[in-house]
Amino acid sequence: MSAAGFAGKTRALIAKDLRVELRGRDTLPPMVAFAFTVALLLAFAAPAPPRLQEPVSLPVGTVPFIDVAAAFLWITVLFAGLIGFARTFEVEEADGAIDSLLLVPLDRSGLFLAKAAANATFVVVVEAILLPAFALLFHFDLGLDWLNLILVTLLVDIGFVAIGTLFASVAAQTRSRELILPILALPALVPLFIAAFELTADLLGGGGLQAVASRGWFGILLAFDVIFTVAAALAFEFVIDA
Amino acid sequence: MITIEGLRVAYGRTIALDSVTADIAPGVSGLFGPNGSGKSTLLRVLAGLLRPSTGTIRIAGEVVDMKSEQLRGRIGYAGHRSGLYGRLTVMENLELFARLYGTGRGRVRDMIDQLDLRDRARTPAVELSAGYQRRAAVARALLHDPDLLLLDEPYANLDDEAAEAVSQAVMTWRRAGAVAVIATHGAKKVKRYADSGLILQRGRLIRHGTYEASGFTP
Repeated sequence: MSAAGFAGKTRALIAKDLRVELRGRDTLPPMVAFAFTVALLLAFAAPAPPRLQEPVSLPVGTVPFIDVAAAFLWITVLFAGLIGFARTFEVEEADGAIDSLLLVPLDRSGLFLAKAAANATFVVVVEAILLPAFALLFHFDLGLDWLNLILVTLLVDIGFVAIGTLFASVAAQTRSRELILPILALPALVPLFIAAFELTADLLGGGGLQAVASRGWFGILLAFDVIFTVAAALAFEFVIDA
Repeated sequence: MITIEGLRVAYGRTIALDSVTADIAPGVSGLFGPNGSGKSTLLRVLAGLLRPSTGTIRIAGEVVDMKSEQLRGRIGYAGHRSGLYGRLTVMENLELFARLYGTGRGRVRDMIDQLDLRDRARTPAVELSAGYQRRAAVARALLHDPDLLLLDEPYANLDDEAAEAVSQAVMTWRRAGAVAVIATHGAKKVKRYADSGLILQRGRLIRHGTYEASGFTP
């Protein structure tokens, strides 16, 4: 099949998933509701945060509040994402459309890309709501380094969605997919989210991308994205045809 | 021509198909048998959607392999369930699959006309009655003019008029070299236009051949 044919079919599948979601609203609203509720709970649970602009001298052994807030942000994204990923193949399973889809003359990587792109859209929408909400609740100043923050967020999303989509396809073949997905995905996502915590905390702390990159987490993030996206796309074929 | 050799499918301890060997010639074959006899399993194996425990299937000499995009593109399959996206309309479902199979929109209109789906074309699949869902599923299976057509109970939930539309659509699709296997309890409907039949019982093929030669009365 030509590259144009592959791209056209993949686009058609992405459009189908987004159209189904627009009509059904089965995935995005629960993700957003979960994320917003958790953000609100964390904001009330956390001690009153110092404003980032103010110089803070911390006693030895104390974690800067911005580190904790960055971790809160990504953990919220992580679990909201898993809620959405668990539903990745529900639309296909509902009326047996998965059989129709598996017979389509399209390389399995096209199916993977389409599912991953739809999941990425949902995660980005959640983040677009969550980031300003966190900024408001935890007194982040997104204006400090927002372009780099978006870059890091998108890079985290690539690895997150690749792993999430792959394990969603595994979980879809089990009866308790909502339970299986986090059990499978969370261990694989640990390095990605540690990098996300570190990079986000550094950026929000005013580190700048160069200083942040010099710590090595940026390289780990890039390596994770490349390795796991390729591995997930290749493994997907074996999972979906199992 | 479909060649089935020593086919066995087991789900744990349950044997769904056992030692099934048959040559299915071009034309329309009815697949008959009581509930649980293995009809749906055989269709799923023929479509490549289920791997047999042992045995092989060849379609025009080519071993069924889901990895082959070309082979997948030659199969039209409508299973027990509609295989449609419930939130999309009938038209949107057919247009989606037309795009995925590289078929023109004219073919979508043809199938809607042939299966008499005009007044339900803008209805979401989830809102269709079981009968209309069946028709839409058959339309989707026929959309890309497959070489191998596999229909599982296409007459389920259909009134006489709708059943006639399905039969007409299959007869219109029919052409030299193409193979259709239609699993059904409505043997009389299929017998009208089928060339041969297969009867399964408890996973074993107990009779197979042309209608005249096999001598069974559906």
